[in-house]
Amino acid sequence: MVGALRIAIAEDSAILRDGLVQLLVDRGFAITGAVGDPAALRSSVAQNPPDVAVIDIRMPPTFTDEGLRLALELRARHEGLGILLFSQYIETRYAADLLADDAAGIGYLLKDRVADVSDFVEALERVAVGGTALDPEVVTQLLGATRRTDSLSVLTGREREVLGLMAEGRSNAAIANALVVSEGAVEKHVANIFAKLDLPVSEKDHRRVLAVLRFLES
Amino acid sequence: MTPEEPEDNGVRVRIRGRELSFAMTEQQADRARELAHTVLHEPFTKRVWSELAFFLLSAGLAGAGLSFVSFTMAAGLFLAITFFGLAVLALSLRSARGIGGFARGLARNMLDEVVEDPQPFAGRHGFLGWLQSCLRDRVAWRAVGYLAVKVPWSILGVLVAVSLWWDAFACLLHPLFGRNGGGPPVWGLARTFFPADDFGFGPTGFFENVAIFVLGAVFFFAAPWVMRGFVNVDRLLIRSLLGPDPTAARVRSLEQARTQTVDASAATLRRIERDLHDGTQAHLVALAMRLGMAKEKLEVDPEQVDLDRVRELVDAAHRGAKEAIAELRDIARGIHPPALDIGLEGALATLAARSAVPTELSVTMQARPTPAIEAIAYFCVAELLANVAQHAQASRASIFCTQQGSWLRLVVRDDGAGGAQLTTLGSSSSGLAGLSDRVHAVDGQLYLVSPPGGPTVVTVDLPLSS
Repeated sequence: MVGALRIAIAEDSAILRDGLVQLLVDRGFAITGAVGDPAALRSSVAQNPPDVAVIDIRMPPTFTDEGLRLALELRARHEGLGILLFSQYIETRYAADLLADDAAGIGYLLKDRVADVSDFVEALERVAVGGTALDPEVVTQLLGATRRTDSLSVLTGREREVLGLMAEGRSNAAIANALVVSEGAVEKHVANIFAKLDLPVSEKDHRRVLAVLRFLES
Repeated sequence: MTPEEPEDNGVRVRIRGRELSFAMTEQQADRARELAHTVLHEPFTKRVWSELAFFLLSAGLAGAGLSFVSFTMAAGLFLAITFFGLAVLALSLRSARGIGGFARGLARNMLDEVVEDPQPFAGRHGFLGWLQSCLRDRVAWRAVGYLAVKVPWSILGVLVAVSLWWDAFACLLHPLFGRNGGGPPVWGLARTFFPADDFGFGPTGFFENVAIFVLGAVFFFAAPWVMRGFVNVDRLLIRSLLGPDPTAARVRSLEQARTQTVDASAATLRRIERDLHDGTQAHLVALAMRLGMAKEKLEVDPEQVDLDRVRELVDAAHRGAKEAIAELRDIARGIHPPALDIGLEGALATLAARSAVPTELSVTMQARPTPAIEAIAYFCVAELLANVAQHAQASRASIFCTQQGSWLRLVVRDDGAGGAQLTTLGSSSSGLAGLSDRVHAVDGQLYLVSPPGGPTVVTVDLPLSS
């Protein structure tokens, strides 16, 4: 990696904002801006473009979905900017809006995930290089809400686990690591899943995510 | 009687050559003068003539309206055996509603008697639904009732009050027509004093003419008051029969109160969620984050552990945990104050003791209100004391909590700057207006007296049980 990853943070809770800055600096990231509202982030990103913007969904002035709207706006304006939405609740609806056309460079995580620092940092790095990081909670909700239960019932238990991790945006290596199996075994599972669900095979992880999500949503 | 210059606070009156003097206090004399002034001026005020005009117009309207409505109703009932009859009946009721509205408009424009419009007609879907709504329209039936009472009352009014006016003029004008009579006919009260042949005075002499003129003058000054009596009864009829249906009004006010309660509880839940989200949850996330960082630092080679940094992180986490606990306690207290478990008096004592402004408390209660009322009373006092601390610049405050029959009265008073208003005090969601909504929801009342310069006194009346 050339130089430290550059991160901008928009989070209205000062405690959390300071904590995040501390954590990221500690892990060797460069902070381009740490602000408390959408307007401030907008100007910070324009002046000093980061690799990833970490954005709280609920921010002033209305404390509803400012962060989400800001994320969509920034993505449209700054190509290649990674977005990590950061929230205390997971709304499947938000995930759908966010992933409407592309899953590259998108993350959507529960704030709780910062407690596992390595996982969080790994997700952030993944988003920075154009990958996807969806919270397991998002995937659980999508799996719970899907009407494709018939199709899913043909998967084995292990294949379902792999499907979930794939939907979170993890690479084969990361899945192998999480399930403590060889990468080859994961590749076999993935191939089985794609065959059973009749999904288009794609090399890129983020396209794979999108394919799985489309399947679950349809 | 000719009142003379008052001297020695008395009034001297000369009647048939004998001088009488009345001892009158200044106040009584003033009142007598005021009364004389009112009586002498009354016939020349606009109000008198609008009342007369209103009475005549509304009598005509009611007469025509009742004739129409009763005719169409009779026709409708007669034809009720067919479907057509019901439709006629429905139309008749719809017109009764319209006539009622017209009478209300007359009263509004001519008497300044503003009666709130009743609930608008809400026809249900389809012809049958419309028919049913018409036939069950309480407002229309009440308008029919109004017409039925108003018509006899108008007849009596014409016989007494209108004829008094008529006679007043007939008598005043009589002397103009000379000795041979022939003036305007009299047909009211005047005839009982001066038996006249067939609606007119016969030839009269000088003294009779004077007497008739004087009688006319008396009638002239008396007529406005008689007319006013009739019109006042009419106002009463309009208010009670053409205004909003009291049952419906009660239902509406209950609906309003319910909406307010639901809104208030939704607002409360939202506030609690916000407090938890922004406060406690953020604290806990930060806490977990610090502990996570510390854990990672401890996971490296024991030789290389940066103990100082770990200690720092654990220290910050520890502080954060304590802050989270304190915040959680405040939030929980905002949901249900634990102090209330020991009773309102104890809870209010805690509030008074915690108040930023020195606060006196006096509680005299015989019965214990229901928990809901106790909670409302508690939150009222909490909010009011917070307002005192924030806005009033007061040096002292006092709380009185007394039982008055089946009511609980809370009075919160401060010696601050005053000038408080229901809308400006406190924040919009939890301010005084919000309190007032909460109090209204249980049929209570909140009064605010806060002249500029103070003191501010807020009185809250709550039923002991809601």
